[in-house]
Amino acid sequence: MKKYSQTSSVIEDFSKLPFWQKYAVVDLIYVGYGLLIVALVLLSYILGMFNWLPHDPQQINMDMLMAPPATADYLLGTDFMGRDILSRLIMGIQAYFLPGLLAISISLSGGILLGVVAGYRGGTIETIITYFTNLVDSFPRLVLILLVIAAFKPDIYYIMVVMGITGVPAVATAIANKIRFLAQKNFIEAAIALGLRTRVIIVKHILWYNCRALLIIQATLGMGEAILLETSLSYLGFGVQEPEPSWGNMVQSGANYFLQGNFWPSTAPALAILFTILGFNLLGDGLNNILEDKRDK
Amino acid sequence: MNQPLLKIENLRTYFYSRSKHSFVRAVDGVSLEVGQRETVGVVGESGSGKSITAMSVMGLISTGPGVIGGSIHFASARVQKNLLEGLHKCVKVEEQDGRVMAVSKDERGWQKTAERLMRDLRGKEIAMIFQNPRASLNPYITVGEQITEAVRLHTANKSVREARERAVYWLERVKIDSPRLRFNSYPSALSGGMCQRAMIAMALSSEPSLLIADEPTTGLDATIQSKIVDLMEELKSETGISTLLISHDISVISRLSDRVAVMYGGAVVEYGPAQRVLDMGAATKHPYTAALLASVPSAQQIRDKANLQAIEGDVLDTINVPPGCRFYARCNQVTPAVREKCATHQPELQEVAPGHQMRCWRYAVPA
Amino acid sequence: MSRTILEVKQMSKHYRRHHGVFSTFNRRADSIAAVDNVSFYLRENETMGLVGESGCGKTTVGRTILRLTKPTSGNVIFDGRDITHLSDSELRPLRKDMQLIFQDLDAGLNPKMRVEDILSEAISVHERVSDAEVKVKSHMLLDQVNLKYSKLTSYPAELSGGEKRRVGIARVLAVGAKLIVADEPTSALDVSIQAQVVNLLRDLQKQLGLSYLFISHDLQVVELMSDKVAVMYLGRIVEMGLTARIADAARHPYTYILWSSLVEKHNREAAPTGKIDRRAAWGVFDFERPASGCRFAPRCPVYEQRGRPAACTDPENEPQLRDVGEGHQVACHFPL
Repeated sequence: MKKYSQTSSVIEDFSKLPFWQKYAVVDLIYVGYGLLIVALVLLSYILGMFNWLPHDPQQINMDMLMAPPATADYLLGTDFMGRDILSRLIMGIQAYFLPGLLAISISLSGGILLGVVAGYRGGTIETIITYFTNLVDSFPRLVLILLVIAAFKPDIYYIMVVMGITGVPAVATAIANKIRFLAQKNFIEAAIALGLRTRVIIVKHILWYNCRALLIIQATLGMGEAILLETSLSYLGFGVQEPEPSWGNMVQSGANYFLQGNFWPSTAPALAILFTILGFNLLGDGLNNILEDKRDK
Repeated sequence: MNQPLLKIENLRTYFYSRSKHSFVRAVDGVSLEVGQRETVGVVGESGSGKSITAMSVMGLISTGPGVIGGSIHFASARVQKNLLEGLHKCVKVEEQDGRVMAVSKDERGWQKTAERLMRDLRGKEIAMIFQNPRASLNPYITVGEQITEAVRLHTANKSVREARERAVYWLERVKIDSPRLRFNSYPSALSGGMCQRAMIAMALSSEPSLLIADEPTTGLDATIQSKIVDLMEELKSETGISTLLISHDISVISRLSDRVAVMYGGAVVEYGPAQRVLDMGAATKHPYTAALLASVPSAQQIRDKANLQAIEGDVLDTINVPPGCRFYARCNQVTPAVREKCATHQPELQEVAPGHQMRCWRYAVPA
Repeated sequence: MSRTILEVKQMSKHYRRHHGVFSTFNRRADSIAAVDNVSFYLRENETMGLVGESGCGKTTVGRTILRLTKPTSGNVIFDGRDITHLSDSELRPLRKDMQLIFQDLDAGLNPKMRVEDILSEAISVHERVSDAEVKVKSHMLLDQVNLKYSKLTSYPAELSGGEKRRVGIARVLAVGAKLIVADEPTSALDVSIQAQVVNLLRDLQKQLGLSYLFISHDLQVVELMSDKVAVMYLGRIVEMGLTARIADAARHPYTYILWSSLVEKHNREAAPTGKIDRRAAWGVFDFERPASGCRFAPRCPVYEQRGRPAACTDPENEPQLRDVGEGHQVACHFPL
């Protein structure tokens, strides 16, 4: 049985409602969780930057090997070398935070540029850009990265530049499609007819009002992907090297101790990866639903 | 048989708007009849509920809550049943001051029941044609094959060859040019007018007792509209089919209908013989009908280049339904005598002359 | 004698197609003449109606005049200035005088902007205006289009069809247009609201001395609003003249058929005994079948009646607009 009910008075102005009534609960949960994760990541980055950690992440402590969580001083326990896991997790964020930001800034700026030019100008320019983006898109990202690593050095920044570039097609296509959609609805034509400057039309009407949601989502998803990439590479041994902590290499080195029954040193960073990426993805998802106004008429 | 072919009684179809946390009272107590060999025109503007009424009859309402009350009696030579039988078991309605405030509906259960009830009827006894003909045809199958499919499904002609012949026959009857050529055409190759003819052919090929036409001429060019109306007039007299014709175009309704129902804001406000209802000069006239007819430019107004008689305000939004008469806010015929009643109580649909019903306090017959 | 505000001289707009649904539409097999050799003029405070069925090119004429797209050939002279070949930046300041009311009700109404933002943007497009002035002007605009001030804080999604149309009109007035091309301004609206919009447009014309190019397929409204009418068929003007003459004394068969289908719809009696039996040969219609010579020939009852004269299908002899008295022009070899 599905129940529908209404109050005696009809809601007049929807936009004046408090946000918890306006949007679907699930979206609010997603966004809430996502924002929490972002806050934690940001906080951890700052803590790591100034080294305000509970323990030295490199400090080996042979008496406290493999301590389980909530042992004395060590909130999340210690790993196989007696190092504090919590501090290592916090430090691990250094490995991907700035590089991730680099990657998404490259994707977004490149994507916006190409997308706007292709969508707005159309014609031959659009065809050329489409070919170009398809070309970049068809490169297997991981292979490209390994090539870069082999050719240069396993520097996470180089890797993130590659990731940024390979992320451009997705953004560019999304923006170009959005512009095409708006053009179909006479939107752009009406703005031109009014006499608005091209610059204004693009920045204000297209990007700010209409592509906002799109870009935020690409940014959050991009960050999630960057984290995944960095941790995967570190896991494989191409990224951050021991004893520097990265969630990826923590998982890797902790794996050796699984057979002994010590799951925690590997599981802790794995869970961190899981929950963090989930946070970014859900944030993107939730924001998408909220910003794109997906409520029914 | 004197029983009407289709008798809709007190039909209620509601939707729900999550963003506004309230019901959209699309069809709010509509009662209509279509007799044998009769065409009933339903005229109204957007939001009047006329299309939803047709869709409710065909059982095509899928969003919630959907049909929540009333009865639709269908009585042809072959089938007699209430299309909403068993609805009351699946729906529980809570009212407050005569207005529905909450609805509990077993949607899946009703869906099953409704499918069972409509199974032998849809397409076979009751056929429907829609507003955008090209969108209603399958773009990947030729027009001829689609009609053949309908024939095989709904009539005794089960063999492919016979069915194909019937399909061509019907294409000829709808005066489509080069029927055998068009048989093998895809809908994208046909113009709007031709697609509509093909749809009519498909609908009539199953020899239904009732045809429901939802805005059949809207969206077509003016000259083509005229031809489709011509066609429908001819088919009407040739086949004797009953039609429920829905349109916002008064001229189309007046050319084809025997009886007319005028709908506003989800309810029928006037219902009677076409000549009476659509006659501009009649003394007994519902204010909305009168205003609607007056807002269409007359030949005299055009010649004089005079200003048109618009109706003040906007068409009723069926979410914010006022407590009194639906048309009160825009009515220009309110007299002091009935003002209070108009503002607070909804008038009932009452018979003001034989065969002529009206929903207005000015013409209300005291109980 | 009011001055001419718009002059269109032999304007054509061709679109190139890469794959042909229309295989042999024109002499140039790969291009479609959406608008072919159209000429007319419009004076101050005058309304010209442009009618025809869908696909006849009337919307393209409207858009090309406003230089939303560039004509392939011919000239557009607005207020004495030839704007045919101006660049976008030269056009921009002129745009405030010539505006378009779009067929789509939502065009120009950014769904994420409130009405007050939409209007203030339009007001400040071409000149610097202070916030206070914007507010005053917004209120004045809403008064002009009969909208309540409370609508200022609404989003387009919260407006009804009629209200959206009126905000669109207000937006166009906000920049101070003198020439307004109205593309199907009443088509998407309910009948009772159409009357409101028609009245509004007429009142505004009287108040502000506007000129309209009124594009519509609704003949009654066009007849009501226009001083003169041009009838288009497949990209060409086939008849043009004062409204009364076009409606009552049409000379081109197509015009006659258009107007008589109007009368038909209103009469329940038999078709009017006119010069042509409209129900007769319609021929293969509704689609591309290209004509050489007169474009209307495949559908023309007169062509049939006269035994298919060769003049009508002679590719060298396409009928041109000829004056048949009092500014009434017809493009037909055998006008009625």
